[in-house]
Formats: sequence, structure tokens, C-alpha cells
Amino acid sequence: MSDLALTARIGFAERARAVFDSTPGRILARIGILAALLAAWQYLPGPGMRFWASDPQSIVMALLGWIIDGTLWHQLFATLTVMSTSYALGCAIGVGLGLVFGLLPRLDKVMSPFIFAAYSLPKIALAPLLIILFGIGVLSKVVLVTLVVFFLVFSSTIDGVHNIDPDLPRALRLMGATRAEIIRKVLIPAALPWIFTSMRIAVRYAFSNTLLAELIASNSGIGYLIAYHSGIYDAAGTYAAVLILVILSVALTEVLTRIEKGMSRWRA
Amino acid sequence: MQRNSAAEAATPKIQLLGASRDFEARGRRVQALQPIDLSVKKAEFVALVGPSGCGKSTILNMVAGLLGPTQGRVAYDGQPIAGLNRKVGYMTQKDTLLPWRDVASNIGVALELKCRPMPRADAATKVAQMIELVGLKGFEHHYPSELSGGMRKRVALARTLIYEPETLLMDEPFAALDAQLRLVMLDQLQFLTRLRKMTVLFVTHDLGEAITLADRVVVMSARPGRIRAIRNVPIQRPLDVFKARFSPEFASLHEALWDELKDEVTKGTDL
Ligand SMILES: Nc1ncnc2c1ncn2[C@@H]1O[C@H](COP(=O)(O)OP(=O)(O)O)[C@@H](O)[C@H]1O
Ligand SMILES: [Mg+2]
Repeated sequence: MSDLALTARIGFAERARAVFDSTPGRILARIGILAALLAAWQYLPGPGMRFWASDPQSIVMALLGWIIDGTLWHQLFATLTVMSTSYALGCAIGVGLGLVFGLLPRLDKVMSPFIFAAYSLPKIALAPLLIILFGIGVLSKVVLVTLVVFFLVFSSTIDGVHNIDPDLPRALRLMGATRAEIIRKVLIPAALPWIFTSMRIAVRYAFSNTLLAELIASNSGIGYLIAYHSGIYDAAGTYAAVLILVILSVALTEVLTRIEKGMSRWRA
Repeated sequence: MQRNSAAEAATPKIQLLGASRDFEARGRRVQALQPIDLSVKKAEFVALVGPSGCGKSTILNMVAGLLGPTQGRVAYDGQPIAGLNRKVGYMTQKDTLLPWRDVASNIGVALELKCRPMPRADAATKVAQMIELVGLKGFEHHYPSELSGGMRKRVALARTLIYEPETLLMDEPFAALDAQLRLVMLDQLQFLTRLRKMTVLFVTHDLGEAITLADRVVVMSARPGRIRAIRNVPIQRPLDVFKARFSPEFASLHEALWDELKDEVTKGTDL
């Protein structure tokens, strides 16, 4: 788990550095390539292809329209709200229940097959079921994304508690620590690196699953914007919504990379 | 009242009565410790020496209540030990420092507990005193991963001594220290345990260390462990740890104990 997280983090950090710390030559080359692609896109397709290929000008117009009429901010806000609410809920419940299960080995042993089954299942497959239960709207999306984040953080917290050297809580118990003191002074600090690792990975999961949920069936969010415009065969609108998504992903990755850099400095 | 305190004085602090211990290893039952009898009086300092694998740590674990005896009884203050024995401070063979705490806060952890209410400033003063005592000044804010084996042992020692438990169990506490530092630590330990009238059960593989500190030295035989000999140390206390080893009594006791130990060591080496 932590190896995976480490490689993931190095990958993201390097990609981000490649994008943002560049020589002027490289930046010029990129602008050139982009301009050539956009020009080709604008002028090459014949009238028959326009319908599905759209063109940069129409896409920019669609985007400007959304900025002016507020659609962009409204949908962006919807996506970020679902994502952050679910993330916070999933992390809080995951850490809380993870500690309870970690501290009650008997409960954990009884429940572990169920937990393993639920953990293994790709949660997005539950989307149709959740829509039947909670309707199309914010609630079904929040439940889905919360579940995704929850299982990630929950199982990692349990692993963290189980990986503690049993001699550490024992030493504190001999000093006269109460159960609550052992939880606070040994179990939680020892599990913290595991919890942080899973919370870091969970941000990306929350993001992609929020979008998936919006794509499948929804009435708000950037994912909905994509699904809606492709549904009415509006190629320009579809591309514009995807463009928003690209910008959002890059921004999110950049923010996370910065936070992680700060955190690793603090930890070292 | 008087009868009570007389009875208290007569009751040994620690008592093993025919206590033995088996372990299950790879489906095979192995006796680690044969039934042994041993009493330690209040404020007495007893050293256990013996070849590795003879059950010294097992004895300490039983007194701490981490392990129960397979047969026989282990009592503390005359009562059989049920669950963890919180009257003892246990410095285990492997140090159990908390890796996310620096030296100072590892040493002070016992003073943060509800069972020992203490103002923060007083705790900080005591921590500073202990750091001085074990010679770790300047390392207050180092983490265990940044320390040598000997320094970690000293942190573990300070962490155990700081709350002044009435009984100390120490498992090869100075094994990783160099000779000079070991003498300084022996001196400090002798001073503190006498000052606080602590009862001590001390495991070592160094006969000199045992004679320097202990009122009685228990020599154990190779696995399965049993007590081979118990010798009183007839040296006036407190003694000067730096000079004691050059006295004739010291030398003759060292020789006598070595005679008991040497066949066991060759028999008992864990190969
Ligand atoms: N938890 C355990 N499981 C199996 N065997 C053990 C366990 N603890 C100790 N032993 C065995 O019991 C014997 C005595 O161990 P120990 O008390 O640690 O010896 P010492 O401290 O004198 O070196 C050894 O042979 C050891 O392998
Ligand atoms: Mg041992």
C-alpha cells in the first residue's frame, strides 16, 4: 500500500514539475504545437465532420457563454461540493470505524469476509442501485463517493492498527496507562502514517468517482455537463465541458502536490 | 498495626514457587524453564545470570504479568499475579520507545498518565534531570531512529526510572553500552535504587555487573533453565563501582560464580 502510494506520489510530483518548471524554449515549442493543432482542428475538417468534431472557436464560445450565464460556476460548485462532502464523510467514518475494528479484533475477525467483499467490489457498480434507493441527485452521488472513500480509509486504518508492534501498547500498560490513554498515545499515532497515505490516495478516488457518478445519472456537476451535451449531440458543449474537466484535474493535482510536499517536509 | 507491618516485612516482594514455563513452537512443546523457587525481599537487589536461552527474560515476563507460569505460582506482595503487574517498571531486552516521540517526550511519557497527576512544569523538570542522569543532554529533540543502540537503551532506562516504580525489572539494560559509560550507569542505578529503596530483579550476562550491584546473584543453568546456585554478595554497600572490581572479595566471588557458570555457558549456547 505505501509503496504504491510512494510511486504514485513521485509520478504526480514529476509530472507536475514537468508542466510548471520549464525552460522558455520548451514553453514556446508547446505553444507552437498547440497552435498548430488548434489551427488544424479549426480549418481542416470538412462540413460533414463538423457535426461531431466541432471546432475550437465554437468550443470557446460555448465556454464563454457558460462563464457569462453562470453555468460554469454552478456546475463546478456542484462537483466540488459532492466531492469534498463525500471525502470528509468517508474519511471521518473510515478513521472512526477503522479504529473501532482495529481495537476489537473479535469484531474484525467476524466481519472481515464481509468487509473484504465490500472492499473488493468496484463501488461504481452500485450506482444504479443507489439511484433506485436515493433518486437522481446529490444524495445518491454523495453516498457512492463516501462509500469509495470510506472503504479505502477504513481498511487502511485497520491495517495501521494491526501493524503496531504489540510491545508498545504493552509497555504503556505496564506504566499504568488506561485503555483510552493507550489509544491516544500509541494506537492513533502509530496508525497515522497509514491513515494519511489512504487519505491522500482517496482524494483522487473521490474526484474520479464523483465524475463517474455525474456521468451515469445526475442533474448537476461537470460530469453531468459532459453527459448532457453529448446526449443532445452538441459536440462543442461536450468538448467545452471536457476542457473544464482537464483544467480542474490539473489544478487539483497541482494543489495536492503542493500539500504533499509541505507534509513530507513536516514529517521528515 | 504492628503485626501488619511485621507480616509485610516477612512477605517477599516477589516469589516464584515451583514456577515453570513451557512454550509451543512449531507444534512441539518445549520446556523453557524448569520449576524454580525464588524469593526477592523488599528493597533487595537480585541479579540473574545464565547462558542465553535459559529463561531469564521468561522469569521477568512472568513477574511483570505478561506471561503466566505453566505450573506453580508467581506472587507479588504475596498475591498471585493476575493480569499485568503495574507495580513494576520493566525495562525489556528490546527497547520499546515510541518512534514518533523525541527523546524528551519518550522519557516523560509515564508522567503524562492520569495515574500520576503532575503539573507540566514539574514533569519537564524531572525529564531534564533524567536526561542529565543518563547523559543525553543535547539529544532531547532527537528521534529514536536517530540514536545509537546504547543511547536508546539509556532513553529506555530513563523512561523507566522517571516514575520511580517500587520494583524494577531490568533485562540486560547495559548490554549495548561501552565499558566507561556502563560504569557511570551502574553508579547512577545503585544510587537511585538505594535512595528509593527499590526492589530490583536484574538480568545480565556480565558477572562483574551482577556483583557490583546485587545483594544476591542467581546463577541459572542452560535450557531448560533452573537455578544452579545462589550467592550472597558480602561486600559493604554502597560501594564504589569504579574501584570495587579491584578488591579481593570481588575477585574471589567473581571466580566462584564463574566456576558455576562456565560449564553452563558452553552447554547452553544457542546454536
Ligand atoms: N514466546 C515464545 N515462544 C516460543 N519460545 C519462546 C518464547 N519466549 C521464549 N521462548 C524460548 O524459551 C527459552 C528461554 O527464553 P528467554 O527467557 O528469552 O531466555 P533468556 O532471556 O535467558 O535468553 C528460549 O529457548 C526461547 O527460545
Ligand atoms: Mg533474554
